Amino acid sequence: MAIQGIDFANLSLMDALDLAILIEDEAQERYQDFAAQMEQHHTPEAAKFFTYMVENEAKHGRELLARRTQLFGDTPRQVKAAMIFDVEAPDFDEARAFMSAREAMAAALASEVKAHAFFESALPSIKDPDVRALFEELRIEEIEHQELVQLELAKLGKDNGVDGSAYEDEPAAQ
Amino acid sequence: MSATCEFQAKDYKSDLKPIWCPGCGDFSVVQGIYRALAAIGRPPHEIAFVSGIGCSSRIPGYTTAYGFNSVHGRSLPIAQGIKLANPDLLVLAAGGDGDGFSIGGGHIAHLIRRNVDITYIVMDNQIYGLTKGQLSPTSQKGRVTCTSRFGSLEEPVNPLLYVLAYGAGFVAQASPTDLAGMAAVIEEAIRYPGFAFVNIQSPCVTYGEEAQQIRGLKAISESLVSLGHNPADRLAAMDLAQHYGEKMHLGVFYRNPEPAPTYDALVRERQALLSKDALPKENILDLFIKK
Ligand SMILES: Cc1ncc(C[n+]2csc(CCOP(=O)(O)OP(=O)(O)O)c2C)c(N)n1
Ligand code: SF4
Ligand SMILES: [Mg+2]
Repeated sequence: MAIQGIDFANLSLMDALDLAILIEDEAQERYQDFAAQMEQHHTPEAAKFFTYMVENEAKHGRELLARRTQLFGDTPRQVKAAMIFDVEAPDFDEARAFMSAREAMAAALASEVKAHAFFESALPSIKDPDVRALFEELRIEEIEHQELVQLELAKLGKDNGVDGSAYEDEPAAQ
Repeated sequence: MSATCEFQAKDYKSDLKPIWCPGCGDFSVVQGIYRALAAIGRPPHEIAFVSGIGCSSRIPGYTTAYGFNSVHGRSLPIAQGIKLANPDLLVLAAGGDGDGFSIGGGHIAHLIRRNVDITYIVMDNQIYGLTKGQLSPTSQKGRVTCTSRFGSLEEPVNPLLYVLAYGAGFVAQASPTDLAGMAAVIEEAIRYPGFAFVNIQSPCVTYGEEAQQIRGLKAISESLVSLGHNPADRLAAMDLAQHYGEKMHLGVFYRNPEPAPTYDALVRERQALLSKDALPKENILDLFIKK
Protein backbone atom coordinates (compact mmCIF):
# COMPACT_ATOMS: atom_id res chain seq x y z
CA MET A 1 0.00 0.00 0.00
CA ALA A 2 1.31 3.44 -0.86
CA ILE A 3 -0.07 6.94 -0.89
CA GLN A 4 1.51 9.98 -2.43
CA GLY A 5 0.94 13.68 -1.99
CA ILE A 6 -2.29 13.46 0.04
CA ASP A 7 -2.63 16.18 2.65
CA PHE A 8 -5.15 14.53 4.97
CA ALA A 9 -5.29 17.58 7.25
CA ASN A 10 -6.66 19.74 4.45
CA LEU A 11 -8.58 17.17 2.46
CA SER A 12 -11.95 18.46 1.22
CA LEU A 13 -15.04 16.24 1.21
CA MET A 14 -15.05 16.17 -2.59
CA ASP A 15 -11.40 15.06 -2.72
CA ALA A 16 -12.03 12.48 0.00
CA LEU A 17 -14.97 11.02 -1.94
CA ASP A 18 -12.92 10.99 -5.14
CA LEU A 19 -10.07 9.21 -3.37
CA ALA A 20 -12.47 6.61 -2.00
CA ILE A 21 -13.83 6.06 -5.53
CA LEU A 22 -10.31 5.67 -6.92
CA ILE A 23 -9.52 3.13 -4.21
CA GLU A 24 -12.59 1.08 -5.14
CA ASP A 25 -11.81 1.42 -8.87
CA GLU A 26 -8.28 0.14 -8.36
CA ALA A 27 -9.46 -2.85 -6.32
CA GLN A 28 -12.15 -3.60 -8.88
CA GLU A 29 -9.63 -3.49 -11.71
CA ARG A 30 -7.18 -5.80 -9.85
CA TYR A 31 -9.89 -8.36 -9.06
CA GLN A 32 -10.98 -8.22 -12.68
CA ASP A 33 -7.41 -8.93 -13.72
CA PHE A 34 -7.20 -11.82 -11.22
CA ALA A 35 -10.53 -13.28 -12.38
CA ALA A 36 -9.29 -13.21 -15.99
CA GLN A 37 -6.00 -14.86 -14.97
CA MET A 38 -7.89 -17.61 -13.16
CA GLU A 39 -10.24 -18.19 -16.09
CA GLN A 40 -7.29 -18.35 -18.46
CA HIS A 41 -5.66 -20.94 -16.20
CA HIS A 42 -8.71 -23.13 -15.74
CA THR A 43 -9.28 -22.28 -12.09
CA PRO A 44 -13.03 -21.56 -12.12
CA GLU A 45 -13.65 -21.52 -8.34
CA ALA A 46 -11.07 -18.80 -7.69
CA ALA A 47 -12.25 -16.96 -10.83
CA LYS A 48 -15.82 -17.03 -9.53
CA PHE A 49 -14.79 -15.61 -6.17
CA PHE A 50 -12.66 -12.86 -7.73
CA THR A 51 -15.63 -11.96 -9.97
CA TYR A 52 -17.77 -11.72 -6.83
CA MET A 53 -15.18 -9.28 -5.44
CA VAL A 54 -15.31 -7.26 -8.69
CA GLU A 55 -19.08 -6.90 -8.20
CA ASN A 56 -18.67 -5.91 -4.54
CA GLU A 57 -16.09 -3.25 -5.29
CA ALA A 58 -18.11 -1.99 -8.26
CA LYS A 59 -21.25 -1.70 -6.15
CA HIS A 60 -19.43 0.25 -3.46
CA GLY A 61 -17.80 2.44 -6.09
CA ARG A 62 -21.20 3.22 -7.66
CA GLU A 63 -22.67 4.22 -4.28
CA LEU A 64 -19.77 6.57 -3.61
CA LEU A 65 -20.02 8.05 -7.10
CA ALA A 66 -23.75 8.72 -6.65
CA ARG A 67 -23.02 10.60 -3.44
CA ARG A 68 -20.21 12.56 -5.03
CA THR A 69 -22.42 13.53 -7.98
CA GLN A 70 -25.27 14.56 -5.72
CA LEU A 71 -23.01 16.79 -3.61
CA PHE A 72 -20.58 18.14 -6.17
CA GLY A 73 -22.07 17.46 -9.60
CA ASP A 74 -19.46 17.13 -12.30
CA THR A 75 -16.90 19.48 -10.74
CA PRO A 76 -13.57 18.22 -12.14
CA ARG A 77 -11.69 15.76 -9.98
CA GLN A 78 -8.63 17.21 -8.24
CA VAL A 79 -7.06 14.01 -6.95
CA LYS A 80 -5.26 11.58 -9.25
CA ALA A 81 -5.12 7.80 -9.48
CA ALA A 82 -1.35 8.05 -9.00
CA MET A 83 -1.90 9.27 -5.42
CA ILE A 84 -2.96 5.85 -4.21
CA PHE A 85 -1.61 2.40 -4.80
CA ASP A 86 -2.80 -0.97 -3.56
CA VAL A 87 -4.88 0.51 -0.72
CA GLU A 88 -7.62 -2.08 -1.14
CA ALA A 89 -6.28 -3.96 -4.15
CA PRO A 90 -4.29 -7.12 -3.43
CA ASP A 91 -0.62 -7.18 -4.48
CA PHE A 92 -0.05 -8.26 -8.07
CA ASP A 93 1.50 -11.55 -6.98
CA GLU A 94 -1.41 -12.61 -4.73
CA ALA A 95 -2.87 -14.49 -7.70
CA ARG A 96 -1.33 -17.94 -8.10
CA ALA A 97 -1.72 -20.74 -10.58
CA PHE A 98 -4.41 -23.20 -9.47
CA MET A 99 -5.12 -21.34 -6.26
CA SER A 100 -8.11 -22.70 -4.37
CA ALA A 101 -11.18 -20.61 -3.62
CA ARG A 102 -9.99 -20.61 0.00
CA GLU A 103 -6.64 -19.09 -1.00
CA ALA A 104 -8.41 -16.52 -3.17
CA MET A 105 -10.60 -15.55 -0.21
CA ALA A 106 -7.59 -15.33 2.10
CA ALA A 107 -5.95 -12.90 -0.35
CA ALA A 108 -9.11 -10.76 -0.47
CA LEU A 109 -9.46 -10.83 3.30
CA ALA A 110 -5.89 -9.60 3.76
CA SER A 111 -6.65 -6.76 1.36
CA GLU A 112 -9.76 -5.70 3.28
CA VAL A 113 -7.67 -5.68 6.47
CA LYS A 114 -5.11 -3.52 4.66
CA ALA A 115 -7.82 -1.06 3.54
CA HIS A 116 -9.18 -0.86 7.07
CA ALA A 117 -5.68 -0.04 8.34
CA PHE A 118 -5.40 2.72 5.73
CA PHE A 119 -8.59 4.52 6.84
CA GLU A 120 -7.72 4.03 10.49
CA SER A 121 -4.21 5.43 10.13
CA ALA A 122 -5.48 8.46 8.15
CA LEU A 123 -8.18 9.40 10.70
CA PRO A 124 -6.00 11.18 13.31
CA SER A 125 -4.70 13.66 10.69
CA ILE A 126 -8.13 14.65 9.35
CA LYS A 127 -9.52 17.99 10.55
CA ASP A 128 -12.67 18.48 8.48
CA PRO A 129 -15.59 16.92 10.40
CA ASP A 130 -17.38 15.77 7.20
CA VAL A 131 -14.25 14.09 5.87
CA ARG A 132 -13.74 12.50 9.28
CA ALA A 133 -17.26 11.14 9.25
CA LEU A 134 -16.73 9.75 5.76
CA PHE A 135 -13.46 8.04 6.68
CA GLU A 136 -15.08 6.63 9.85
CA GLU A 137 -17.85 5.23 7.69
CA LEU A 138 -15.39 3.77 5.16
CA ARG A 139 -13.34 2.23 7.96
CA ILE A 140 -16.45 0.49 9.30
CA GLU A 141 -17.41 -0.63 5.80
CA GLU A 142 -14.05 -2.34 5.44
CA ILE A 143 -14.92 -4.39 8.52
CA GLU A 144 -18.24 -5.26 6.90
CA HIS A 145 -16.36 -6.33 3.75
CA GLN A 146 -14.15 -8.56 5.87
CA GLU A 147 -17.28 -10.14 7.31
CA LEU A 148 -18.64 -10.72 3.81
CA VAL A 149 -15.49 -12.58 2.81
CA GLN A 150 -15.55 -14.54 6.06
CA LEU A 151 -19.11 -15.54 5.28
CA GLU A 152 -17.98 -16.89 1.91
CA LEU A 153 -15.13 -18.72 3.62
CA ALA A 154 -17.58 -20.31 6.03
CA LYS A 155 -19.67 -21.58 3.11
CA LEU A 156 -16.71 -23.59 1.83
CA GLY A 157 -16.45 -27.18 2.84
CA LYS A 158 -13.33 -28.63 4.41
CA ASP A 159 -10.14 -27.93 2.48
CA ASN A 160 -9.38 -30.80 0.11
CA GLY A 161 -5.73 -30.58 1.09
CA VAL A 162 -4.60 -30.21 -2.52
CA ASP A 163 -1.55 -28.02 -2.90
CA GLY A 164 -2.16 -25.87 -6.00
CA SER A 165 1.53 -25.14 -6.47
CA ALA A 166 2.09 -28.84 -7.26
CA TYR A 167 0.05 -28.27 -10.43
CA GLU A 168 1.67 -25.02 -11.43
CA ASP A 169 1.06 -24.10 -15.00
CA GLU A 170 4.20 -23.69 -16.97
CA PRO A 171 4.72 -21.22 -19.76
CA ALA A 172 4.64 -22.41 -23.34
CA ALA A 173 7.99 -22.95 -25.03
CA GLN A 174 8.86 -20.95 -28.14
CA MET B 1 1.73 12.96 -35.84
CA SER B 2 -1.48 13.62 -34.02
CA ALA B 3 -2.83 13.62 -30.50
CA THR B 4 -6.17 15.26 -30.78
CA CYS B 5 -8.36 13.08 -28.58
CA GLU B 6 -7.70 11.87 -25.08
CA PHE B 7 -6.81 8.24 -24.56
CA GLN B 8 -7.37 6.09 -21.52
CA ALA B 9 -5.28 3.19 -20.30
CA LYS B 10 -7.91 0.72 -21.55
CA ASP B 11 -7.48 1.99 -25.11
CA TYR B 12 -4.04 0.36 -25.20
CA LYS B 13 -5.25 -3.02 -23.93
CA SER B 14 -5.72 -5.64 -26.63
CA ASP B 15 -8.28 -8.45 -26.63
CA LEU B 16 -5.56 -11.06 -26.37
CA LYS B 17 -5.56 -12.70 -22.92
CA PRO B 18 -2.11 -12.94 -21.32
CA ILE B 19 -0.90 -16.48 -20.83
CA TRP B 20 1.60 -15.50 -18.12
CA CYS B 21 1.41 -17.52 -14.90
CA PRO B 22 -1.12 -15.91 -12.56
CA GLY B 23 0.65 -13.39 -10.34
CA CYS B 24 3.59 -12.88 -12.75
CA GLY B 25 5.17 -9.43 -12.36
CA ASP B 26 4.73 -8.85 -16.08
CA PHE B 27 1.00 -8.24 -15.43
CA SER B 28 1.99 -5.11 -13.53
CA VAL B 29 4.38 -3.97 -16.26
CA VAL B 30 1.73 -4.10 -18.94
CA GLN B 31 -0.56 -2.04 -16.68
CA GLY B 32 2.26 0.49 -16.17
CA ILE B 33 2.71 0.70 -19.95
CA TYR B 34 -1.04 1.24 -20.55
CA ARG B 35 -1.03 4.10 -18.04
CA ALA B 36 2.13 5.68 -19.46
CA LEU B 37 0.82 5.50 -23.03
CA ALA B 38 -2.47 7.08 -21.96
CA ALA B 39 -0.52 9.93 -20.36
CA ILE B 40 1.48 10.39 -23.58
CA GLY B 41 -1.74 10.31 -25.60
CA ARG B 42 -0.43 9.02 -28.95
CA PRO B 43 -2.99 6.86 -30.77
CA PRO B 44 -2.12 3.14 -30.80
CA HIS B 45 -1.52 3.10 -34.57
CA GLU B 46 1.34 5.57 -34.11
CA ILE B 47 3.16 3.22 -31.73
CA ALA B 48 5.43 0.32 -32.66
CA PHE B 49 6.29 -2.15 -29.92
CA VAL B 50 9.06 -4.66 -30.53
CA SER B 51 10.21 -7.51 -28.30
CA GLY B 52 12.52 -10.52 -28.42
CA ILE B 53 11.57 -13.94 -27.06
CA GLY B 54 10.71 -14.80 -23.48
CA CYS B 55 7.66 -14.66 -21.23
CA SER B 56 8.15 -10.90 -20.94
CA SER B 57 8.54 -10.57 -24.70
CA ARG B 58 4.90 -11.49 -25.18
CA ILE B 59 4.02 -8.00 -23.98
CA PRO B 60 3.47 -6.21 -27.33
CA GLY B 61 0.60 -8.59 -28.11
CA TYR B 62 -1.27 -7.42 -25.04
CA THR B 63 -1.29 -3.84 -26.30
CA THR B 64 -3.15 -2.28 -29.21
CA ALA B 65 0.09 -0.85 -30.64
CA TYR B 66 1.65 -2.41 -33.73
CA GLY B 67 3.68 -5.25 -32.26
CA PHE B 68 6.52 -7.50 -33.30
CA ASN B 69 7.37 -10.46 -31.02
CA SER B 70 10.61 -11.01 -32.91
CA VAL B 71 13.74 -13.11 -32.42
CA HIS B 72 15.50 -13.85 -29.13
CA GLY B 73 17.81 -10.94 -28.29
CA ARG B 74 17.05 -8.93 -31.40
CA SER B 75 14.41 -6.45 -30.32
CA LEU B 76 16.80 -3.50 -30.38
CA PRO B 77 18.15 -3.71 -33.95
CA ILE B 78 14.61 -4.24 -35.21
CA ALA B 79 13.33 -1.30 -33.18
CA GLN B 80 16.16 0.81 -34.54
CA GLY B 81 15.25 -0.14 -38.10
CA ILE B 82 11.64 0.82 -37.51
CA LYS B 83 12.61 4.16 -35.99
CA LEU B 84 14.92 5.00 -38.90
CA ALA B 85 12.35 3.98 -41.49
CA ASN B 86 9.58 5.95 -39.83
CA PRO B 87 10.92 8.43 -37.25
CA ASP B 88 7.41 9.73 -36.54
CA LEU B 89 6.49 6.50 -34.78
CA LEU B 90 6.80 6.17 -31.03
CA VAL B 91 9.00 3.08 -30.75
CA LEU B 92 9.14 0.87 -27.67
CA ALA B 93 11.30 -2.21 -27.20
CA ALA B 94 10.94 -4.69 -24.37
CA GLY B 95 12.09 -8.08 -23.19
CA GLY B 96 13.63 -10.08 -20.41
CA ASP B 97 16.97 -9.97 -18.64
CA GLY B 98 18.14 -12.93 -20.72
CA ASP B 99 16.91 -11.42 -23.96
CA GLY B 100 18.50 -8.05 -23.21
CA PHE B 101 21.72 -8.85 -21.37
CA SER B 102 22.66 -12.32 -22.56
CA ILE B 103 21.98 -13.06 -26.22
CA GLY B 104 21.06 -9.43 -26.98
CA GLY B 105 23.64 -7.75 -24.74
CA GLY B 106 25.83 -6.63 -27.63
CA HIS B 107 23.15 -4.46 -29.18
CA ILE B 108 22.56 -2.17 -26.23
CA ALA B 109 25.89 -0.37 -26.47
CA HIS B 110 25.29 0.56 -30.11
CA LEU B 111 21.81 1.96 -29.59
CA ILE B 112 23.16 3.98 -26.71
CA ARG B 113 26.14 5.41 -28.59
CA ARG B 114 23.88 6.29 -31.53
CA ASN B 115 21.24 7.68 -29.19
CA VAL B 116 18.37 6.15 -31.13
CA ASP B 117 15.12 7.64 -29.85
CA ILE B 118 13.46 4.54 -28.46
CA THR B 119 12.43 3.40 -24.98
CA TYR B 120 13.79 0.05 -23.89
CA ILE B 121 12.03 -1.74 -21.03
CA VAL B 122 13.67 -4.77 -19.47
CA MET B 123 11.52 -7.00 -17.29
CA ASP B 124 14.24 -8.23 -15.02
CA ASN B 125 13.29 -11.39 -13.11
CA GLN B 126 16.83 -12.76 -12.72
CA ILE B 127 15.87 -15.98 -14.50
CA TYR B 128 15.01 -17.48 -17.88
CA GLY B 129 11.29 -17.81 -17.27
CA LEU B 130 10.00 -19.08 -20.59
CA THR B 131 12.49 -21.94 -20.86
CA LYS B 132 11.67 -23.02 -17.29
CA GLY B 133 14.11 -21.56 -14.87
CA GLN B 134 17.71 -21.49 -16.07
CA LEU B 135 20.39 -19.14 -14.81
CA SER B 136 20.16 -15.68 -16.42
CA PRO B 137 22.83 -12.97 -16.66
CA THR B 138 21.25 -11.10 -13.75
CA SER B 139 20.88 -14.16 -11.46
CA GLN B 140 22.82 -13.60 -8.27
CA LYS B 141 25.98 -15.55 -7.48
CA GLY B 142 25.21 -18.79 -5.67
CA ARG B 143 21.74 -19.12 -7.21
CA VAL B 144 20.62 -22.71 -7.56
CA THR B 145 18.73 -23.40 -10.78
CA CYS B 146 18.35 -26.34 -13.16
CA THR B 147 21.52 -25.17 -14.93
CA SER B 148 23.43 -24.40 -11.72
CA ARG B 149 22.66 -27.33 -9.46
CA PHE B 150 25.39 -26.46 -6.96
CA GLY B 151 24.94 -22.71 -7.15
CA SER B 152 26.04 -20.20 -9.77
CA LEU B 153 29.74 -19.34 -9.81
CA GLU B 154 29.20 -16.12 -11.78
CA GLU B 155 28.80 -12.52 -10.73
CA PRO B 156 25.59 -11.04 -12.18
CA VAL B 157 25.48 -8.34 -14.81
CA ASN B 158 24.39 -5.02 -13.30
CA PRO B 159 21.95 -3.67 -15.94
CA LEU B 160 21.91 -0.17 -14.49
CA LEU B 161 25.69 0.26 -14.41
CA TYR B 162 25.93 -1.41 -17.82
CA VAL B 163 23.81 1.21 -19.57
CA LEU B 164 25.16 4.12 -17.51
CA ALA B 165 28.72 3.15 -18.39
CA TYR B 166 27.88 3.17 -22.11
CA GLY B 167 26.44 6.68 -21.73
CA ALA B 168 22.67 6.15 -21.81
CA GLY B 169 20.90 9.50 -21.48
CA PHE B 170 17.98 8.20 -19.45
CA VAL B 171 18.15 5.39 -16.91
CA ALA B 172 15.43 4.45 -14.44
CA GLN B 173 14.20 1.54 -12.36
CA ALA B 174 10.70 0.53 -11.30
CA SER B 175 8.85 -2.37 -9.70
CA PRO B 176 5.29 -3.59 -9.10
CA THR B 177 5.54 -2.30 -5.53
CA ASP B 178 4.73 1.15 -6.95
CA LEU B 179 2.61 1.06 -10.10
CA ALA B 180 2.12 4.82 -10.27
CA GLY B 181 5.88 5.30 -10.01
CA MET B 182 6.39 2.67 -12.73
CA ALA B 183 3.95 4.42 -15.08
CA ALA B 184 5.60 7.77 -14.35
CA VAL B 185 9.13 6.59 -15.20
CA ILE B 186 7.95 4.84 -18.38
CA GLU B 187 6.20 8.05 -19.40
CA GLU B 188 9.35 10.07 -18.67
CA ALA B 189 11.46 7.58 -20.59
CA ILE B 190 9.18 7.91 -23.63
CA ARG B 191 9.34 11.69 -23.42
CA TYR B 192 13.14 11.66 -23.24
CA PRO B 193 14.57 12.58 -26.65
CA GLY B 194 16.93 9.66 -27.18
CA PHE B 195 17.65 6.14 -25.96
CA ALA B 196 15.91 5.60 -22.63
CA PHE B 197 16.30 2.52 -20.48
CA VAL B 198 13.91 1.32 -17.77
CA ASN B 199 14.81 -1.74 -15.70
CA ILE B 200 11.70 -3.18 -14.09
CA GLN B 201 12.00 -5.76 -11.36
CA SER B 202 9.24 -8.08 -12.46
CA PRO B 203 9.02 -11.12 -10.18
CA CYS B 204 8.73 -14.58 -11.68
CA VAL B 205 6.31 -16.29 -9.31
CA THR B 206 7.06 -19.73 -10.77
CA TYR B 207 10.86 -19.88 -10.86
CA GLY B 208 11.82 -16.81 -8.83
CA GLU B 209 13.05 -16.89 -5.26
CA GLU B 210 11.03 -15.73 -2.27
CA ALA B 211 13.18 -12.63 -1.72
CA GLN B 212 12.48 -11.50 -5.29
CA GLN B 213 8.72 -11.53 -4.85
CA ILE B 214 6.76 -8.37 -4.07
CA ARG B 215 7.05 -8.73 -0.30
CA GLY B 216 10.81 -9.13 -0.60
CA LEU B 217 11.07 -6.18 -2.98
CA LYS B 218 9.07 -3.95 -0.65
CA ALA B 219 11.56 -4.66 2.13
CA ILE B 220 14.50 -3.29 0.12
CA SER B 221 12.75 -0.56 -1.91
CA GLU B 222 13.79 3.05 -1.58
CA SER B 223 12.68 5.92 -3.79
CA LEU B 224 15.49 7.96 -5.32
CA VAL B 225 13.46 11.13 -4.75
CA SER B 226 13.28 10.41 -1.02
CA LEU B 227 17.09 10.02 -1.01
CA GLY B 228 17.41 13.52 -2.49
CA HIS B 229 19.18 12.12 -5.57
CA ASN B 230 19.82 14.63 -8.35
CA PRO B 231 19.08 12.79 -11.64
CA ALA B 232 21.35 15.19 -13.56
CA ASP B 233 24.36 13.83 -11.64
CA ARG B 234 25.67 10.87 -13.62
CA LEU B 235 28.39 9.92 -11.14
CA ALA B 236 25.94 9.93 -8.24
CA ALA B 237 23.68 7.74 -10.40
CA MET B 238 26.53 5.28 -10.96
CA ASP B 239 27.27 5.24 -7.27
CA LEU B 240 23.65 4.36 -6.45
CA ALA B 241 23.46 1.86 -9.29
CA GLN B 242 26.22 -0.18 -7.64
CA HIS B 243 23.64 -1.33 -5.09
CA TYR B 244 21.68 -3.26 -7.72
CA GLY B 245 20.74 -6.60 -6.19
CA GLU B 246 20.97 -5.45 -2.56
CA LYS B 247 18.72 -2.40 -2.63
CA MET B 248 15.80 -1.57 -4.85
CA HIS B 249 16.22 2.07 -5.81
CA LEU B 250 13.10 3.24 -7.61
CA GLY B 251 12.86 6.24 -9.92
CA VAL B 252 15.17 8.07 -12.30
CA PHE B 253 18.87 7.41 -11.82
CA TYR B 254 20.01 9.61 -14.66
CA ARG B 255 18.49 12.06 -17.11
CA ASN B 256 21.01 13.85 -19.30
CA PRO B 257 20.17 17.56 -18.93
CA GLU B 258 21.64 18.20 -22.38
CA PRO B 259 20.55 15.29 -24.56
CA ALA B 260 22.69 14.66 -27.63
CA PRO B 261 20.99 14.79 -31.04
CA THR B 262 19.24 11.54 -31.84
CA TYR B 263 20.52 9.19 -34.53
CA ASP B 264 17.17 9.28 -36.29
CA ALA B 265 17.32 13.09 -36.50
CA LEU B 266 20.91 12.98 -37.79
CA VAL B 267 20.02 10.40 -40.43
CA ARG B 268 17.10 12.56 -41.57
CA GLU B 269 19.39 15.58 -41.77
CA ARG B 270 21.95 13.66 -43.80
CA GLN B 271 19.23 12.35 -46.11
CA ALA B 272 17.96 15.87 -46.69
CA LEU B 273 21.46 17.08 -47.46
CA LEU B 274 22.32 14.28 -49.88
CA SER B 275 18.94 14.10 -51.54
CA LYS B 276 19.60 17.41 -53.30
CA ASP B 277 22.22 15.76 -55.51
CA ALA B 278 20.68 12.29 -55.50
CA LEU B 279 19.43 10.57 -58.63
CA PRO B 280 15.65 10.56 -58.92
CA LYS B 281 14.25 7.26 -57.66
CA GLU B 282 13.09 6.17 -61.09
CA ASN B 283 16.68 6.43 -62.43
CA ILE B 284 18.33 4.59 -59.57
CA LEU B 285 19.07 1.50 -61.64
CA ASP B 286 21.22 3.61 -63.95
CA LEU B 287 23.89 3.44 -61.27
CA PHE B 288 24.27 -0.28 -61.91
CA ILE B 289 23.68 -0.48 -65.63
CA LYS B 290 26.52 0.19 -67.98
CA LYS B 291 25.27 2.35 -70.74
C1 LIG C 1 18.29 -17.93 -30.68
C2 LIG C 1 17.56 -18.53 -29.53
N1 LIG C 1 18.26 -19.03 -28.50
C3 LIG C 1 17.62 -19.53 -27.42
C4 LIG C 1 16.25 -19.54 -27.38
C5 LIG C 1 15.55 -20.15 -26.19
N2 LIG C 1 15.05 -19.12 -25.30
C6 LIG C 1 13.78 -18.65 -25.43
S1 LIG C 1 13.41 -17.51 -24.29
C7 LIG C 1 14.93 -17.65 -23.56
C8 LIG C 1 15.32 -16.87 -22.33
C9 LIG C 1 14.18 -16.18 -21.68
O1 LIG C 1 14.63 -15.43 -20.59
P1 LIG C 1 14.37 -13.88 -20.48
O2 LIG C 1 14.81 -13.18 -21.69
O3 LIG C 1 14.96 -13.41 -19.20
O4 LIG C 1 12.78 -13.76 -20.47
P2 LIG C 1 11.71 -14.24 -19.39
O5 LIG C 1 11.11 -15.49 -19.97
O6 LIG C 1 12.41 -14.47 -18.11
O7 LIG C 1 10.73 -13.12 -19.33
C10 LIG C 1 15.71 -18.58 -24.23
C11 LIG C 1 17.09 -18.94 -23.86
C12 LIG C 1 15.53 -18.99 -28.48
N3 LIG C 1 14.21 -18.91 -28.49
N4 LIG C 1 16.22 -18.50 -29.52
S1 SF4 D 1 7.47 -18.48 -15.83
FE1 SF4 D 1 7.86 -16.70 -14.55
S2 SF4 D 1 8.24 -15.02 -15.99
FE2 SF4 D 1 7.21 -16.68 -17.13
S3 SF4 D 1 5.01 -16.18 -17.04
FE3 SF4 D 1 5.49 -17.58 -15.35
S4 SF4 D 1 5.88 -16.22 -13.62
FE4 SF4 D 1 6.07 -14.97 -15.45
MG1 LIG E 1 14.05 -13.32 -17.33
